[in-house]
Amino acid sequence: MANISFRGVTKRWGAFVGVHELHLEVADQEFLVLLGPSGCGKTTTMRMVAGLEDPSEGEIWIGEDVVNDMSPRERDVAMVFQNYGLYPHMTVRDNIGYPLKVRGTPKAEAKAMIQAAAEKVELVPFLDRKPAALSGGQRQRVALARSLVRTPRVFLMDEPLSNLDAKLRVTMRAELKHLHHELRVTTIYVTHDQMEAMTLATRVAVMNKGIIQQLDAPEVIYNDPANLFVAGFIGSPSMNLVEGRLENGGFHAGLIAVPGVGGGNRENIVLGIRPEDVTVGAPGSGQFDMEVYTVELTGESILVTARAGKTQLTAHADRHFRCEIGERVGMSFDVARTYLFDAKSEERIRL
Amino acid sequence: MSQRRLAFFLLAPALLLVAFTTIYPLIVSLWTSFHDYNLTRSLNMGPWIGVENYTEAFKYDPDFWKVMLVTATFVILDVGLTMLVALGLAVLLLRQGFGKTFLRTILILPFAMSPALIGISWRFMLNPDFGGFARTIGAILPFMRDVDYFANPYLAMGALVSSDVWHWSPYFCFMLMGGLASIPPETQEAARIDGASAWRVFRDVTLPQLKPVLVVAIILKSVFALKVFDAIVTMTSGGPGRETTTLGYFAYQIGFRDYQFGYAAALAYILTAIMFVLSLSYMRVAFRNAP
Repeated sequence: MANISFRGVTKRWGAFVGVHELHLEVADQEFLVLLGPSGCGKTTTMRMVAGLEDPSEGEIWIGEDVVNDMSPRERDVAMVFQNYGLYPHMTVRDNIGYPLKVRGTPKAEAKAMIQAAAEKVELVPFLDRKPAALSGGQRQRVALARSLVRTPRVFLMDEPLSNLDAKLRVTMRAELKHLHHELRVTTIYVTHDQMEAMTLATRVAVMNKGIIQQLDAPEVIYNDPANLFVAGFIGSPSMNLVEGRLENGGFHAGLIAVPGVGGGNRENIVLGIRPEDVTVGAPGSGQFDMEVYTVELTGESILVTARAGKTQLTAHADRHFRCEIGERVGMSFDVARTYLFDAKSEERIRL
Repeated sequence: MSQRRLAFFLLAPALLLVAFTTIYPLIVSLWTSFHDYNLTRSLNMGPWIGVENYTEAFKYDPDFWKVMLVTATFVILDVGLTMLVALGLAVLLLRQGFGKTFLRTILILPFAMSPALIGISWRFMLNPDFGGFARTIGAILPFMRDVDYFANPYLAMGALVSSDVWHWSPYFCFMLMGGLASIPPETQEAARIDGASAWRVFRDVTLPQLKPVLVVAIILKSVFALKVFDAIVTMTSGGPGRETTTLGYFAYQIGFRDYQFGYAAALAYILTAIMFVLSLSYMRVAFRNAP
């Protein structure tokens, strides 16, 4: 068990900067999720912890050790790969047992440890099969068992659920959460799926272009985004972002006007509001009217996307609400739940 | 004309050509191998003598077993060393970034050269009076000065094997590079994280996954090594004595130097049988996963 510390870590390939001056402290036993779009540097960050990539600058600490010059085997970490990285020529038993074999664990002891790991992920009936004879979910569990057969100082998981179907992903997500609770090993988990990030993380680091945009508990990331990128990235359907200006105590963008938004008179403003904070009703009943562009029934609610001029908004309506494409509807913002951003710097404007 | 008939019609010239150049000689030489046919005695094929030519080889000709031993030695050394060099080069070249295209291009040069030219060049270079190789070796190892490489059985075999390894390594290097490149890198990374040293990653993870390609390469190279001919003709002529006479070259000598066509045909058929078995196993491995 150990904490992990990034001290000014940069990774460059020629002129391309993958990770830029990263400072990050991962506490002992924490479950830290690195979240971001592809190419944001999250996987590179994790691979530098594993020792599969060398940082160009800065130091990485695991516990009391600077690990920059340590080989992966000396770092005592375990990793689950997106494509699992199972050894295709070995049985499940040998796959799980490989970390023990190379470490010279006595056979009898190793056997018991393999059995225990296989039991933990319910793989016992499949121990003598080869990976090719397993389903995606089972392979995933082999990769998991291989990483937890010994107790490493750190778990690294690189999009471990992204190759599973939607249903299995939800199940395995719950399993992972339980396993972490049980083993209490410091974990870094990379994903582009915000749902995984929200459900699993102690803290989430939202990354973009090699830089951490915000590092906070999931609920803070969701409710109090630090900038335009985080606001737009977190949430599904994503937050409505409307470009406009502040004038006379209200927000104006094209044909829409929302009263009661403070902040003085200012140009180049982006107003953000989540779909669940927008109300849809009969025309004339809200702050402004829009024309319905599309209606999507999700079961639990109805997503109404509407337009006025160039402005497009999505709203969560009650599941009994009905409207047709082309119809006019009245829309209102819950002004207390709006966020303001500077369109140029993309930073949050706090009033 | 139906599609099928048209296809057959279009294939016919090629089929005829194959029949004329491959199947016909195969049948005629099989027929010849069961006859007493010696050009020094008569221009015409002699009487049918059954398997006597074959029993001659296996039971009475002491040279035959010598030649078989030489052939086996050559094939084992040649295949083993070619694979070792090719695999080593492949591992080195796969990772290396700078000058990659240039190195890969010059690597193919030995393979692009005519085999006869390779043999003659090697013989010249190993000439103790003016050969570059021989002079260099002599300068480093004084006791090797003035050694005639082709008069010493071991050195002659060594020279023959070396030239063939040099000739074929690039081809198999590319083949193994393809195999190495198709191994998912996560498996090697996973092994490194699981605690394996570079050597163990190679032994436990890379090599087993390379095995299908490696087996195909070994079978293929064995077939090539069995039918080695140009190198022997141009470098050693099978000598000293019979020390570098392989089965294929032996059959050639019996046929076209001694004019014992019947016996030569039988020897050629023994070689064909060995190659046939190897080719069959090659087909089984190479097309195992084909529908």
